Amino acid sequence: MKKGLSLFIMVYFLGLWSFSSGQEPQKPLHFYNVDTEKKIKGTIQEIIMEPRYKDSSPFLIIRLEEKKTHQKFIVEISPVRFFTHDFHKGEELEVVGSLYLKEGSQNIIARQIRFRGEIFILRDKRGFPAWRGSGMKHKKRRKGKRF
Amino acid sequence: MRKLIIYLFSILFLSVSLKAYSFSFSFFQNMTDNIFQNTYSGRDQLSHMGFYIDKDFSKISIFTEGSYSYLFENPSLSYYIQEVGLDYLHPVSDKAAFYFSLLGQGAFYRSDYKDFNSFSLNFLAVFKTYLSQTSILKSNYSLDYKNFGYSLFDFVSHGLSVSFDKYFQTRTTMKSEISWGLKRFLHPYSSQEVILVEDSGGHQSGRRSYLFVPRTQFEGQSIQIFSFSGLIAQGFGSNVGFNISGMKQWYLSGENPFTSVEEFYMVENPSYDRFAWAGYQLGAQITLLIPWNIELKVGYTMADKEFPGIESMNLEEETLGVTREDRRRTFETRLEKNFPRFSFFLSYAYVDNNSNDPFFDWHGNFFSAGIEWNMLFGGKK
Repeated sequence: MKKGLSLFIMVYFLGLWSFSSGQEPQKPLHFYNVDTEKKIKGTIQEIIMEPRYKDSSPFLIIRLEEKKTHQKFIVEISPVRFFTHDFHKGEELEVVGSLYLKEGSQNIIARQIRFRGEIFILRDKRGFPAWRGSGMKHKKRRKGKRF
Repeated sequence: MRKLIIYLFSILFLSVSLKAYSFSFSFFQNMTDNIFQNTYSGRDQLSHMGFYIDKDFSKISIFTEGSYSYLFENPSLSYYIQEVGLDYLHPVSDKAAFYFSLLGQGAFYRSDYKDFNSFSLNFLAVFKTYLSQTSILKSNYSLDYKNFGYSLFDFVSHGLSVSFDKYFQTRTTMKSEISWGLKRFLHPYSSQEVILVEDSGGHQSGRRSYLFVPRTQFEGQSIQIFSFSGLIAQGFGSNVGFNISGMKQWYLSGENPFTSVEEFYMVENPSYDRFAWAGYQLGAQITLLIPWNIELKVGYTMADKEFPGIESMNLEEETLGVTREDRRRTFETRLEKNFPRFSFFLSYAYVDNNSNDPFFDWHGNFFSAGIEWNMLFGGKK
């Protein structure tokens, strides 16, 4: 029991140390702009994991083709470890998010996804990310079972 | 009440002073007419309060979570659980990544269950890769160490699994998984040791007169299992999803070292985990988005489980000379509404458990309702 207690305390203090260590504020590339919000329904063309923000965990990015117009969008979902569902090419989903143009391509920062009878809230209506404390269940995204 | 207020303010202070990115608070209320899941049908209500704090920095995320569960009819089973951990995601390409997590947990029970106070450590490593844009391969290793107040239950377990899924143009996803697990008890049993349940109403309180009796003839100290599972999921537009799943589990070596295996509703029991049984499970679930964007899930599961090493007994606690076998049918439904800062849910389950041990021949109704409230810190990235 004592051995277990010491291990627990060790992990706890490691956690506290990391919490309290000062971090430089990260510099975002794009902000969520509610004025450019758009809803699109499309088919997944490609799924990739790539860094989006300095010093942050890689993001899940989806290349989506809109059903009606066949326009292509690059959809930024969330940090990979936060989003626990596995997407595949060919699956359909509906995305609500903020649109911005970059190097000639249409990019969307996703706020909400509707997929197979479930709604995933990724950001609040002002664009605050759910992985910073809003919306999705924390237990679902911990312990890696669904990564 | 005063203690509770001090506790809540301490958590809030901790989260703000540590510049945590997120803080959430949850409250769940559960009701059942069969808390001990046996033929005597003991009613109880369970209130569960929890908090969660996390902070991401660079590729590592640190989190802590605490929860207190109070049982109204059986307050001596109430418990507090505190977890702290970190996780790390390391991409190796734009299609593959490693995920690691380390989690420490302390579980503290009141008088009736104090032998099961525990400290545990869990390490998890996962590798996930897209073999193509329509198929995913995952492999998973987990290590668990658990140290109990009563050292008889201490164990180390290892788990390995590999899964593969494939999406087809018919909007169908098929997934299969194989899994292996080894649980090693850390202390040999040299004599008959019995944990007695304090008399709090006799048999009618709904519990056997003892919880566990290690069997002296138990020679091996480990249990080894192997399982195969499969899932077929079908999407119908973006509002409806349906899946059927199945799992078959075998014992490769060893058997349960106790004379009884029990599971309580919402209260962890050291005799019952994924290593306790061999058999199969089949399930089906439909997920629907109904008006006001409310998620509705309806599911049905049937399971046939055998508990190697566990002999069925009659209600007088005399052995019947057969291995315990349970056949369980579960109907579940859940309504959930998510807002950006709040989540509500309501769930109901009916379980019918037929067993060749009459003590575990039971059925029960389980109701839950809950709310989770999330507070935001940090920037709008």
